[in-house]
Amino acid sequence: MDRNIKRILAVLVSVILLVSLFQGITPGVLGTKAEEPAEFNEHKKAAKSDRYTMYVNEDTLSLIITDKVTGAYMESYTSYDDGLANKTWWGAMNSAVVLTLISGNDDTKQANTFNDNITKKVTYTELGFTATLYWTTYKVGLTLEVSLTDSGLVVRVPDESIKEDGDKYKIGTIALYPYMGTSYLDQKEGYILVPDGNGALIYLDNKERRYSAGYSSMIYDTDIGFDESKVETLLWDEYKIVNTPEQVIAPVYGIAHTGDGIAYLAVVEDGAMRASIECLPNGVSIDYNRAYAKFVERKLYTQPTSNNSTSGSLHLTESERAHSDLQVRFIFLSEDEANYAGMANAYREYLKDLGVLKELETAYRTRVDFLGSDREKWVIGTSAVVMTRVNDIRNIYADLEARGVTELFTVFKGWQKGGVNNLPISKFKPDPKVGSAKELAKLINDSKAKGIRFYLYNDALRINPSEYNVTFNIVKKINKRKYEEETYKSVYEKFDWIIPSRTETLLNKLVSKMNRGGVNSLALAGITNNLYSYTYSGKNYTRYETAAAYLKTVDAVDKENDLVLEQPFAYLWGHTEAFLDMPMYTSSYIVEDTFVPFLSIVLKGVMPVYSEYVNFEANKQEFFLKLVETGTYPSFYITKESSSELIYTNSNNVYSSQYDVYGDEIEEYSKALSDINAKTAGATIAAHDMLENGVTRVTYSNGVKIYINYGESTAEADGMSIGSMSYIVAE
Amino acid sequence: MKKRTFAVSLISMVLALLLAFIGFAEPAAVRGDTPYKTYTVDGYGSTIETQTAYLPYTTITKIGEESLKGPTDFTLLDDGTIYILDSGNKRVVVSSPEGDLIKVFGQGTLMSPRGIFVTEDRTCYVADRDAKAIFVFDPEGNLIKTYGKPDSAIYGENQVFMPLKLVVNSFGTMYVVCESNTNGIVEISPVEGGTFLGYFGTNNTRASLWTIIWRAILTDEQRAKQLSNLPATPDNLAIDDKGVIYTVTRGEKNEALKRLNIAGVNMITPQTYEDLPAAVAVGNHDNAFVAAQSGYIYEYNNDGDLLFVFGGADDGQQRIGLSTKVEAIQIGKDDKIYVLDSDKAQIQVYKPTEFTDHLHEALYLFSKGRYTESKKPLSTVLEMNNLFDYANLAMAKALYKEGDYNGALRYSKLAKDLDTYSDSFWEIRAAWLKRNLTAAVLIIVAFVILVAVLRFLDKKYGILKAPKKLLSKVKEFKLVKQLGYVFYFMRHPIEGCYGIRHQEKVSLLSSNILLALMILVFIINKYFCGFLVKTVREGSFDIASDIGIILVALFLVVGCNYLMCTINDGEGKLKHIYCSFIYGFGPYLCFTPVIFLLSHVVTDNERFFVDFGRLFMLAWVAVLIFIAVKEINNYNVKETIKIILLTAFTILIVSLLAFIIYVLWSQVFDFLQQIPREVVYKIGS
Repeated sequence: MDRNIKRILAVLVSVILLVSLFQGITPGVLGTKAEEPAEFNEHKKAAKSDRYTMYVNEDTLSLIITDKVTGAYMESYTSYDDGLANKTWWGAMNSAVVLTLISGNDDTKQANTFNDNITKKVTYTELGFTATLYWTTYKVGLTLEVSLTDSGLVVRVPDESIKEDGDKYKIGTIALYPYMGTSYLDQKEGYILVPDGNGALIYLDNKERRYSAGYSSMIYDTDIGFDESKVETLLWDEYKIVNTPEQVIAPVYGIAHTGDGIAYLAVVEDGAMRASIECLPNGVSIDYNRAYAKFVERKLYTQPTSNNSTSGSLHLTESERAHSDLQVRFIFLSEDEANYAGMANAYREYLKDLGVLKELETAYRTRVDFLGSDREKWVIGTSAVVMTRVNDIRNIYADLEARGVTELFTVFKGWQKGGVNNLPISKFKPDPKVGSAKELAKLINDSKAKGIRFYLYNDALRINPSEYNVTFNIVKKINKRKYEEETYKSVYEKFDWIIPSRTETLLNKLVSKMNRGGVNSLALAGITNNLYSYTYSGKNYTRYETAAAYLKTVDAVDKENDLVLEQPFAYLWGHTEAFLDMPMYTSSYIVEDTFVPFLSIVLKGVMPVYSEYVNFEANKQEFFLKLVETGTYPSFYITKESSSELIYTNSNNVYSSQYDVYGDEIEEYSKALSDINAKTAGATIAAHDMLENGVTRVTYSNGVKIYINYGESTAEADGMSIGSMSYIVAE
Repeated sequence: MKKRTFAVSLISMVLALLLAFIGFAEPAAVRGDTPYKTYTVDGYGSTIETQTAYLPYTTITKIGEESLKGPTDFTLLDDGTIYILDSGNKRVVVSSPEGDLIKVFGQGTLMSPRGIFVTEDRTCYVADRDAKAIFVFDPEGNLIKTYGKPDSAIYGENQVFMPLKLVVNSFGTMYVVCESNTNGIVEISPVEGGTFLGYFGTNNTRASLWTIIWRAILTDEQRAKQLSNLPATPDNLAIDDKGVIYTVTRGEKNEALKRLNIAGVNMITPQTYEDLPAAVAVGNHDNAFVAAQSGYIYEYNNDGDLLFVFGGADDGQQRIGLSTKVEAIQIGKDDKIYVLDSDKAQIQVYKPTEFTDHLHEALYLFSKGRYTESKKPLSTVLEMNNLFDYANLAMAKALYKEGDYNGALRYSKLAKDLDTYSDSFWEIRAAWLKRNLTAAVLIIVAFVILVAVLRFLDKKYGILKAPKKLLSKVKEFKLVKQLGYVFYFMRHPIEGCYGIRHQEKVSLLSSNILLALMILVFIINKYFCGFLVKTVREGSFDIASDIGIILVALFLVVGCNYLMCTINDGEGKLKHIYCSFIYGFGPYLCFTPVIFLLSHVVTDNERFFVDFGRLFMLAWVAVLIFIAVKEINNYNVKETIKIILLTAFTILIVSLLAFIIYVLWSQVFDFLQQIPREVVYKIGS
């Protein structure tokens, strides 16, 4: 009897313990209460919007954002202690601001708002609070402004508030609320949205410490102005075999707790040019999932002291801090919206409100690009390899028209004198073997009259040192060494880059000459997806300045001309009539669990999006399905002559392009995809679901649903059966 | 590395593909892009990017709930069952095709297992290095046999038995790679508890020219102290269903991958090879796969031509499809590639793309001799990649077999397949001759008659008097005479030298003109000669360095020869030496144009004429130079030989000196540059 009672007691106690433990580690749903309390988990109510309430802990400045309707909430700190984190980690995990400091050659020193001696002054404002922080030990300080409105939670550090008073410590990086939406192991169901390529997710499941590193990448790609002392692993010491990872095209990331029905999309609004996105799942150093933007104020770099790069070098710190306000906007999403499609929709609305995304004509077109000519080596100098002449393009158009393909979009590459690699272009002078300026202008205007969009391609960044004098106006890295881009090809082995002011001069020259020749449509590349710091005549320029210069240049060209940009970074999206070369994949990092077409969802229906070239896809069927899934329009790279002609040129990576081979495929793609896109015309993607059985369901704002089955067997979804490697459009 | 029944017809291939679909559970996401590029190598040895051949498909990190620790080898059976040698845990883990755990065995028996082989009847052989034995387990995982060190005398008394990798043929004969056994692969028969049959497929030792010279100089005692020149031990091996064994060996250059027939004779020598191969596997289409330790994966066809190389080392980027330390590779019946990474403790599975499937179909049809049928998949491959070398090569052969010689000529030129090119050219030339023979004979006859008539008329009426007069007038020019002297010099070198020394028969100007002509001829011949004898690839030109090399070589030879002659009582002046050398190259100038023209019309059958012509010409040049050195300096034969050797030695010393001076000066220059810079940066920061 006694024993039984004891047993029952033991069971009861353990159940109670378990339940309390369980509750302890699963905060998340506050319980749907009609009235919100003034205080919540030691946090004080500070501001509210229509739907969300912000609570703040004045001591640590940590935040809790609650959803008034569902009671779901997200925290900017770790409320559950697994007892494994050391003091530094624990401090970072509970801080509003985490800094790394540079002292000499060491940039690993960390300072945060939890562990360190700081003087702090918090004043409450109508929308939130302002906290002036000063680290007395390191003599650095900043002002943190937090406000909550209907358009999201804005966290801001004004540039002028950043202080570095001491000589010993300088600020390296700044992270604002790095643990916003953090969770322990698989305690929350959901994922981190990674802005890798088109988009990727890292699920919040238990990673069992499999990964030693998370996702970390600079927004708008790495900065070539700093020597990343990374040695490329080359096949047979000669060929680049590992692909460069995809760029971060838009300055966003997000975390969704799908189980709780709450999510945020973070947009790095100010300071994005010098910030990296860090998405770290549990198991990377600590067992907590987190994602944040890390602003780089100062960077270490290597200064070689001899021409021979191996023999001597110094490690230096950037002498001047990069000046920009730092601002992250957390847009909170609830219930049905609390997922990646919701994030994409929120980002689209945000860009629309900002005026970046305008109402563009988004009707379906097939992109058929042409390569004019390139050069191969000859006894003396080089000789032209002519691939597509102006007249050939005319004939190809006529043939396509006969096949019923009339909705076309063309970027003409390698039209300029001297071929595709004769850069920069400053004259409207086609290669005589391709055609005359008059012929080309006539082709463009005739095509336009027929409704074909036709753009002349210009890489406004690169200069060919074999053809042009590269003594002046060339990009030099912060260590004052010339930046040279290796092509790993045999005719032209290296390219240099032109500084932004020179690009502007040359581009204006070209545009005015083109306009005089009666042509006003241009496709820009190079400057659209490269940002760098550089030094010129003794002055250092940051990425902020490069971006500002490019924005001004592109804006001026855009005003007078039809302009499209090749894979443009988000800050240029307002100046393009179409998005060229949308990545359909990610960089395949191990930590990423799945691909999601985040950027495609953002842009579908508001901007025509064209894929990378279909020619070079090894899995054509799968790529086609990707186009269907993402609403992307196909692109082909076409030449009149057989691409085997290109074998001795720098374009020898164009190994398949002949029109005779691709005519049928262009027709097929055009017919199939224009049918689908006619049904979704003008609509945006409202929802995107990856169903359990491997079927992807894309729901458009006009109610059209597309089901795509990538699986190797027929699958059922919503009562329909979709064949293997095929799709169904349901209205 | 396992026995397989080859698909003998397309139907069974399709069946195999269907089987694949029952394979591993679908990966969570469709991965279309790869973190690596795929390359292929063409007949010129240049590397060309191609469509992705294999995509990362899935990664096996766990079998059921069992994690792996430092796995070193595995065997994939035809039905998809995987036996993984989980070396870190000293056990064998068996996985079902679906990835579920079937069983675990070997604990307690295995000490430091390194290699595994499982036969189709699921008998499992494990090579254990530290146990110095091969353990055999029955399908239930019970130990049924242990083979230790062979007791045969041929094996070697002092030779240890440390088995690393093994394969077993259908008779149960084991082929074992052993650590520090340089005799080759140990072949053990299962009869009488393990009979040593001998060594198999021993690698060749390699002696460079340098070692040979070195060894000739050393005494016996010194030679004994030298590192012994032992053949390299193979690193891994695989077996196909016909019992043909494939081995890979590090640092063996184009013998890195070998295909050994039953007699142990190598049948392939790939031109593209990996320096650090870790494993080899046999594919389903007479193809072979080599995995490099660093993660590159090579696919070869039957002839040892490289089809693809892809993959690569993961330098901390942590991207799917890149590897850290590859130890084993296996090919599934569905052509999927399984690669074991011992550092990452996982098996990465790669799936062929549509492009690769087309290529494999072509490979299969082609190897079966169904050329016409193979044209369809080949054209698809070529449409997808115009520059894919193997497809060009096979297409050329297929077209040749069909009698489309012009097509064959075009494709074989792209692929640099000299044999097919030569054969097609022969056919085309024969057809041309057939068509034009009468015309050609008529033209020749007409020409002969014309000459005869002209001569006759000239004799009678002197109609050629004016042109003849003009010609003799031109011949009277001093420079023309000097240039014409080259023909005399070729035939009469001794008098020729006398003429140069004493009679001012040549001048610096004439020699320079000849030199320029020779350079011109050299360049034209090098870049525009017939395809069959061409030594440089089409489309590559490097004129500046050609001229530079010729001039530097000439300067060195003439200069050094002059230096040596002056201190050896030579009578030659610098100018005379220079001129006689240039004139000595007369035959080159005269014969190269002929050889050049000939090279455009010969096929491999008559290539002898070109080669012989070249040899003859060079011999002539050598004789002329020898005589020139002798006569200009008034030496006897012995002195001449001595002076030539001395000149060669001087050239060596001068080159060495130039190199040392260059290195020293660049160091000094670098140093002088560094000091102010360092000061500036230090102050600046």
